Amino acid sequence: MSQSQQLLVVKDLATTFDTPLGPLPAVGGVSFNLNQNETLGIVGESGSGKTVLSRTIMGLQQRQNVTVTGSVLLNGFEVVGASEEEKRKIWGLEVAMIFQDPMTSLNPVMRIGKQIDEILRVRLGMDRKAAKARAIELLELVGISSPEERYSVFPGELSGGMRQRVVIATALAGSPKLLMADEPTTGLDVTIQAQILNLLEEIKTRMEMSVILVTHDLGVVATRTSRVIVMYAGRIVEIGTTRDVFSHHRMPYTRALLEGSPKVSNPSHTRLKAIPGRPPNLLDLAQGCSFAPRCSFATDRCRQERPELESAGTPGHSFACWNPLPTTRGASA
Amino acid sequence: MFVQESIEEVALADRPERKKKLGILFWICVVWLLINLIAAVFANFLPIQNPLIQDYTAINSSPSWHHLFGTDDLGRDIFSRVVYGSRVSIEAGLGAMVIGFGLGAPLGMLAAYRRGKFDSILTMFMYIFLAFPAIIATIAILSFWTPRSLLKIIIVIGVASIPLVYRVIRTATLNVATKDYVIAAKVQGATDRRIMVKELLPNVAPIGVSFLLIGIATVVVLEGSLAFLGLSVNPPTPSWGNMINEARTILQVNPWLAIFPSLAMCLFLLCLNFIGDRLRSHFDVTESKL
Repeated sequence: MSQSQQLLVVKDLATTFDTPLGPLPAVGGVSFNLNQNETLGIVGESGSGKTVLSRTIMGLQQRQNVTVTGSVLLNGFEVVGASEEEKRKIWGLEVAMIFQDPMTSLNPVMRIGKQIDEILRVRLGMDRKAAKARAIELLELVGISSPEERYSVFPGELSGGMRQRVVIATALAGSPKLLMADEPTTGLDVTIQAQILNLLEEIKTRMEMSVILVTHDLGVVATRTSRVIVMYAGRIVEIGTTRDVFSHHRMPYTRALLEGSPKVSNPSHTRLKAIPGRPPNLLDLAQGCSFAPRCSFATDRCRQERPELESAGTPGHSFACWNPLPTTRGASA
Repeated sequence: MFVQESIEEVALADRPERKKKLGILFWICVVWLLINLIAAVFANFLPIQNPLIQDYTAINSSPSWHHLFGTDDLGRDIFSRVVYGSRVSIEAGLGAMVIGFGLGAPLGMLAAYRRGKFDSILTMFMYIFLAFPAIIATIAILSFWTPRSLLKIIIVIGVASIPLVYRVIRTATLNVATKDYVIAAKVQGATDRRIMVKELLPNVAPIGVSFLLIGIATVVVLEGSLAFLGLSVNPPTPSWGNMINEARTILQVNPWLAIFPSLAMCLFLLCLNFIGDRLRSHFDVTESKL
């Protein structure tokens, strides 16, 4: 893969919150690349650092008590250490974001059309008429019927699924190269979830964007991403193509996650396997592998030394584990 | 057939109403305030008597056709004094709130949006200010800052109201500033100023407006209290407060002098509070209409 194809290069990224109880490493030493027109999934339990990671990549942090080190190179722009003013140049045009809860991600007192054409007028310098026409086009693109009429309704008059479509339209307004979707379907019911995900996929292809899909739902990433990152306690524990991660995973945590999610192929009344224990307290991380206390394969070495990512043999597939699961390659998964 | 109808009924009931009614009482209050306002502004041109002219042939008279509200102990027309007196109250209320909101609201919004050191220091300063008993401070300042004038009263009350306005607006803004749509606007590349004006202000405004109305009402009462203590405008200029003060000594002889200004003030305040309250619930978008 040549360097020029890579839209996003994240290297040794660490985000540490300075809390009264000491430093809290929400994200520790994360490195990965994202190619153009690629969909990357980031999965992990609540509190595994997915959201902090995605916000750090965006360059969105609270203004105080946060230390970010490492590098985020987004289409040639270094996000880490950039001032708000510099980041404002890439926000909306290079990278856009979709939020978890469509109920709160639209301004309740502004007509939805205005929320879309705001960026068109301010950032792209379109005049009122052109911006309105483009906003209506975008509404149509995200599958909103009679967009001319919907242009002037308030968010409160739309359902959750419709609002998420509007949110997507706002994010698309600046034709960003990277779309960051932070749990875009968590606030929606199941049938709408599928619709929104399909829409994202369709738009991704049509607008030639890259998408980072942050979710705790493995079902969401399974069919819609080309590569997956599994996070635990702020670190990448396994990364690879979606196929590798789902079928040939080596990290016990990945397996535990997969076993914890329901499958249609399972016989009915199959009990889901919950992972015992809870995610570690990031303020008080043990020396060794963060997953060791909950892992059934843990040895003394796991508790002493932290495993680094190592290649699993196939290109692009790596995992961080001292006692990886036996490779299932060749056998059916 | 029956089912179909009831489904339509439910569907109709669910449809958000285009305009929520404010209610007849709301409009009565608005009209009453407007009457008050117009009377105060155009008092000089209205066919009412001069509030300062003393008619010794009619001292402490009861309401009559000639003196609608009766006369006071110097034979001055109470009706005209109530009308002219409203000027002081309205001027004080509006003036003080212009100062309070003019400084308190922008600072509150800025602090809540910026957070950090700026917010901490400013909030601490405001809370120290707030801990000071405002009425006692006001009385003390006005006792020494002579000669008294309405402008000085407005300045003192206005400045005293800044931390109150600051606190209300800051809290309201904090609530809005952490919402996803503000972050969403930010990652679309909106400047801070644009976010303040387009995202924060419209969402904070309803709370601001209702607090403004209640603030005016509070200042009217405060001015009344000061006047009752003889610390407001100098006689013979009428104000609702100093009329009640004058009536205190002759309550048994002439209760009308106390009743009418009290009634005027009471109605004025009631209307302000009612309007403020209605507006707040009217603009409350969180009372979901789904």
